[in-house]
Amino acid sequence: MHFLSKTQIIAAAGAVALVLLVLDLVRRRKLSEEYALLWVVSTAGMAVLGFATPVLRFVTRALGIVLETSTVFAAGLAFTTGVLIYLSVRLTRLGRENQTLARELALLRHDLEALRGAAAAPPGAAGGERA
Amino acid sequence: MNDRARVLVIVPAFDEEESLPRTLDEVRAVAPAVDLLVVDDGSRDGTAQVARARGVPVVRHPLNLGVGGALETGFRWAVERGYDVGVQLDADGQHDPAWLPALLDPVLAGACDVCIGSRYAAATGYHAPVLRRSGMLLFAGLVSAALHQRITDTTSGFRAYSRAVMEVCQHDFPEDFPDAPLLIALARRGFRLREVAVVMRERRAGRSFYTLGKSLYYPYKNLLASLMALLQRPV
Repeated sequence: MHFLSKTQIIAAAGAVALVLLVLDLVRRRKLSEEYALLWVVSTAGMAVLGFATPVLRFVTRALGIVLETSTVFAAGLAFTTGVLIYLSVRLTRLGRENQTLARELALLRHDLEALRGAAAAPPGAAGGERA
Repeated sequence: MNDRARVLVIVPAFDEEESLPRTLDEVRAVAPAVDLLVVDDGSRDGTAQVARARGVPVVRHPLNLGVGGALETGFRWAVERGYDVGVQLDADGQHDPAWLPALLDPVLAGACDVCIGSRYAAATGYHAPVLRRSGMLLFAGLVSAALHQRITDTTSGFRAYSRAVMEVCQHDFPEDFPDAPLLIALARRGFRLREVAVVMRERRAGRSFYTLGKSLYYPYKNLLASLMALLQRPV
């Protein structure tokens, strides 16, 4: 096995640190397994490009890119864009769900207050609301 | 008006304690038979209290969901409680309840599913600032071209909706501003729209839902949402 270049060692350290951080976040329940998968897969992809020099060379040639480093940056940018779009979609869905829950809560609170009022008022008393 | 049909007037309100009481009183005076619902969209003032003091049911959103969100809540309420027609009416006094019968009659008669109170269907003397007016013309043109039907006032928040429309809107409702995209989406589902001419008044108090920040966001959002509504397959 040939020696790794300085860049590859830095990339390796970065990838390992990122994976450890992600796993630690999962362990502390700050990150769900679902999102962790996203990060682990993208980090693994970057690691492959960083270490497997023949793979990187092949991809670079195939895409008609001049420098290998550009391929790494392009892949990183693609991953980042993918993650951001995914997060925007999730955020939209969460916003919608949030609105539905707020509405449901508001309707339930009204009914609860109406029931409480009916229970507190003596029978036959005029009701406050016409609901 | 048809005596048997149950009508709910939905009043979305955000910090409207000043103008809301008179709006509610006016509706009661004009149409004693219709029920009222105030959707308090996260107000920080006494909006809910002034409505309750008049015996009007209030649904209070814990957060501000916007006009569309408030309207959707009103639809849910109307469908759950078996109303035949829902009317959207602003709390700020711009919408004169005297026009309620004109708005309701076509829907009650089954002549259309959505009846829009339009400031521009007839010369009513309503004037908007130039920029706002050009935006309104743009969306009116867009909706009219898309639906092959002349719609002059897409931003009017004074409308009557049939029960079928309210049922559909519970599940699938364009967010934020219930304007041009909503009209396109409804027409594409086969609902019939109609406009009647109304005269609108100046707002009595409070702020417009359409603030400065939104006045930039509004055209973008509505344009995109309208185009998307057109691209969706008719159901």
